[in-house]
Amino acid sequence: MARDGHGDDERQGGDALTTLGRYAGPATLLLASLAGGPKHGYALTKDIEGFAGVRLSPGTLYEALGRLERQGLIEPLASEDRRRPYRLTAAGAAALRAQLDDQRRVAEVGLKRLAGAGQLA
Amino acid sequence: MSRPPRPDRRAARLVRWYPRSWRARYGEEFVALLVDDISERPRAPRRTLDVMRGGLFARLTAGGLAGDLRGPADQLRSSLAAIGCFIAAFLVFGVSLWSQLTIGWQWSAPSAPLVEVALEIMSAALLALIGLALLAAVPAILAACRGLLGGQRRELAAPALLFLVGATVLVVGSAHFAPGWPGTGGRPWADKGLVPAGPASFAWAATLSVTAYWAHPDRLGGFPAIEVAWMALAPLAMLVAATGGALTVRRLRLSPRVLRYEARLASLAALALLEFLCGATSWTLWRDPSPRHLFAPGVIDALDVSVMAVLLMPALHLTRRARRLLASDRARA
Repeated sequence: MARDGHGDDERQGGDALTTLGRYAGPATLLLASLAGGPKHGYALTKDIEGFAGVRLSPGTLYEALGRLERQGLIEPLASEDRRRPYRLTAAGAAALRAQLDDQRRVAEVGLKRLAGAGQLA
Repeated sequence: MSRPPRPDRRAARLVRWYPRSWRARYGEEFVALLVDDISERPRAPRRTLDVMRGGLFARLTAGGLAGDLRGPADQLRSSLAAIGCFIAAFLVFGVSLWSQLTIGWQWSAPSAPLVEVALEIMSAALLALIGLALLAAVPAILAACRGLLGGQRRELAAPALLFLVGATVLVVGSAHFAPGWPGTGGRPWADKGLVPAGPASFAWAATLSVTAYWAHPDRLGGFPAIEVAWMALAPLAMLVAATGGALTVRRLRLSPRVLRYEARLASLAALALLEFLCGATSWTLWRDPSPRHLFAPGVIDALDVSVMAVLLMPALHLTRRARRLLASDRARA
């Protein structure tokens, strides 16, 4: 069943991210970065470092990139030099939206409860 | 303080941690990322460790032991090849142990009935494994012949040749050294009839290298030089044959039906290994009171059993993985 007005495609996208297991964290960061436009490996590293304060090491970054590509959530673009850019696919955008909705729901519940705890204190 | 090598050289060195298939797809762009990263942060031990870990994981994935970067058929083929390698490694130690025991049995039967049962369990497991290997080999050999005669000649020729060279050296060398078997000189297994002396002496010669004599160079020096050379060459021949066999299996174009058939045989083979291990463990635990100590387990036997147990674990893991792949394939169909 769709939640918060999002369709089944988006739910499936979220499921795609949950199957990434321990790569779900780097995968979300990569998808969020690519949501701003196509980027190559180093540009992704710098962008993620800028907005999340996390520096993905090259090995971790390419493991996650490979899995996302395999799942059809991102795709490589033609490149004139060795730095190959990647872009988000429609399935990738849906997966990212579903994942971020889940995270927002958890954040809202946590913040609400913290506020309640603060009133009690 | 010495200057680190140029970033492109360091990147080229680091990318070698990854398997060739991975490098063919991601190598160039990964090197570009590494060069940028190294230029920005010349000294970062965590980056080196991360690349090493990623490379080893990619190698495990390429070997079918982890990950899911490829399609189910590719994963199944890789898993089958890896299962074959683990079974082969298990058998090197298992056959060595078993063939040593058959020497004792040729002289006299064990005094403890439980030791006799343990030996029979091991022999039955080996016979089952031979049968399963023959059943598994038929479609694989047919597919290899079809591939070699058809459009896969370039792909299959080198690994098939590697397998043939390794197997030929092993067979010829083992046949040459088999008459030196310290059993009863080729007399059939008189009171049991389960395994004739020919296969036992051949197995003994093939696994001569699995011995505690390596830890006693002074005693090893008393052996004929040609025998010591064979003890060093045989593991190499096994490695070459196993590598060639695994690469061939990974490149074979097997139909889904044949893959299912091979996966089922692999599951049965894993059970036979478990049975063999149970027999071997029982033998090392139950002391035989035979006065000639023909069946007394030594440190090398305990080590053999431990190594077999360690090798069995990934083999079982891979057969479970193959079953899961088959189940998901069926669900998709």
